[in-house]
Amino acid sequence: MKVRFWGVRGSFAMCGKEFLRYGGNTSSVELVTEGGSRLLIDLGTGATEYAKSLMSSEFGQGLGRLPVLLTHTHLDHIQGLPFFTPFFIKGNQFRILGADPAGSSLKGTLQNQLAPHYSPLNGLENLAAGVSIETFLPGSELAIDEFEITTAAVPHGTMWTTGFRIKADDKVVTVLTDVEYPAPHRPTREAFALAAGADMLIHDAMHDDAAYAMARGWGHSPVSAGVHLAGAAGVGKLALFHHSPDATDAAIDRLVEAAQSRTAIPVMGAAEGAYHEV
Amino acid sequence: MDITFWGVRGSYPVPGRGTVRYGGQTSCVEVRTASGASVILDAGTGLRALGQKLARDSGATLGRHHILLSHVHWDHIQGLPFFEPMYITGNTVEVYALLTAADELQQVIGGITRHEFFPVPLEAVPAEINFHEVDPGLPMTIEDAQILPFALNHPFGSVGYRIDADGTSVAYVSDTAPFNQVLHKQHFLPGLETLTDEDRRVLGDMRAALVKSLHGCDTVIYDTHFLPEEYARFPHYGHSTPDQALDIVAGNDVRRLILYHHAPSHTDDQMDEIAARYKEQGAAVGVDVITACEGMVLSVGPRGTS
Ligand SMILES: [Zn+2]
Ligand SMILES: [Zn+2]
Ligand SMILES: [Zn+2]
Ligand SMILES: [Zn+2]
Repeated sequence: MKVRFWGVRGSFAMCGKEFLRYGGNTSSVELVTEGGSRLLIDLGTGATEYAKSLMSSEFGQGLGRLPVLLTHTHLDHIQGLPFFTPFFIKGNQFRILGADPAGSSLKGTLQNQLAPHYSPLNGLENLAAGVSIETFLPGSELAIDEFEITTAAVPHGTMWTTGFRIKADDKVVTVLTDVEYPAPHRPTREAFALAAGADMLIHDAMHDDAAYAMARGWGHSPVSAGVHLAGAAGVGKLALFHHSPDATDAAIDRLVEAAQSRTAIPVMGAAEGAYHEV
Repeated sequence: MDITFWGVRGSYPVPGRGTVRYGGQTSCVEVRTASGASVILDAGTGLRALGQKLARDSGATLGRHHILLSHVHWDHIQGLPFFEPMYITGNTVEVYALLTAADELQQVIGGITRHEFFPVPLEAVPAEINFHEVDPGLPMTIEDAQILPFALNHPFGSVGYRIDADGTSVAYVSDTAPFNQVLHKQHFLPGLETLTDEDRRVLGDMRAALVKSLHGCDTVIYDTHFLPEEYARFPHYGHSTPDQALDIVAGNDVRRLILYHHAPSHTDDQMDEIAARYKEQGAAVGVDVITACEGMVLSVGPRGTS
């Protein structure tokens, strides 16, 4: 299984030359199996770049199929949806899978994003491709093509998001983004279970440990939370993800270096661009 | 009067190597008069950096900020929840927008800060936020700036603004389609529709009111999202070309046209070509054409002195 980060930034897309190496696009991660099955996680602005790359494949002819998992519906995880070009090509088939946000529905939330005030698309029904919105309860298991997926709710400030443990090609990738545990060194039981023995753990690293003191309760992790969980759960590799919009390339370099000095597990700063073999 | 461009991109923010020079953030322009009064045009993602600067500059001084919205498509409001002065108790943010038929403005703005989209709900924002309805054709005064709103041709309605202060003027015309092929109303357009006689009359009136509002304006910022060949494929998307903008301002006593709301697909190198091409075309009709880039500051002196 390969992983490619199309968007690694948290909260806000950042443009400019200080953000070129890690990238300024918001959350979007692609997984590809050896057999060619694809899965996309989140539709931040990074998804618009992925969309462009898809247009030269079967998606350009309206013959593409792609499942998309959503961690949650904060804008930085869905803002690429109205601009995902293969959605405008008849014949393409998409499944968007996510949990209902507390007190509302996934479909209603995405419809609201495309409501006429906000978007000239005026609703999901005007996307030319087939786009089905499917919900699951966090905690359930999903089988999608070659991917076996375990889901769980993890705390995110006053709400929660869905964490994923994704197995394919005998490898496991765990995605825990937009997550804040009761304390950085006390991951929830569900988060620990998703990460246990994973080959790669992709973890929220929005704050450096000093900045976290000011940001407690806002729903994101300091770098040390991912480092701690990676060690406790015995993962193969840790990818720091959901970088702060204020973190320049140089700042992320320092963050990764500091994290690496505290663990023997290989640590990388998630960066847009290359495919990584898990 | 100083005009600062904080976001010049249309549709969605575009990070990466291709947008380093012209900028990737979406619609946001700040107009500051000589007295220090400031009017913010649109609250796209460019608003975040402007908010950081305002919060830094003001120190402990509380302030009143005026944000004029052209319309509430995401690329014009997405920066609002990230506007730092909103998180300082005692600040006031006045938001002006067209009241659309279907909903109350506050609900629409409140909608973007629902917890499904953003962690802080509008009610929990510490600054005082007031909403004002804008009526095309009805002048308003904000501190020492005279503001004239006018209607534009864009899905679900959009409004432009002319700002007169310090003996000079600037106009903001974004987003808008031209006024000949499509009349945007409040429904989804999968392509071109046949225009009725009534549609043509409405379009003609809208164009005439726009031309009149822009007459004698020093600097006009215009939605020039498309190149002509792109417009030909997407005439129903609600955006114009630089040629269509020139058609409105040429011969209308406008000194300077600013190309704005760049398509997300236009890289810096393409933007250089667009800038050169329309500099020349503008010169041929007596209009100084400048292509907006993020961070650009234009000083507009009294008419005839700058
Ligand atoms: Zn996020
Ligand atoms: Zn979030
Ligand atoms: Zn726009
Ligand atoms: Zn628009």
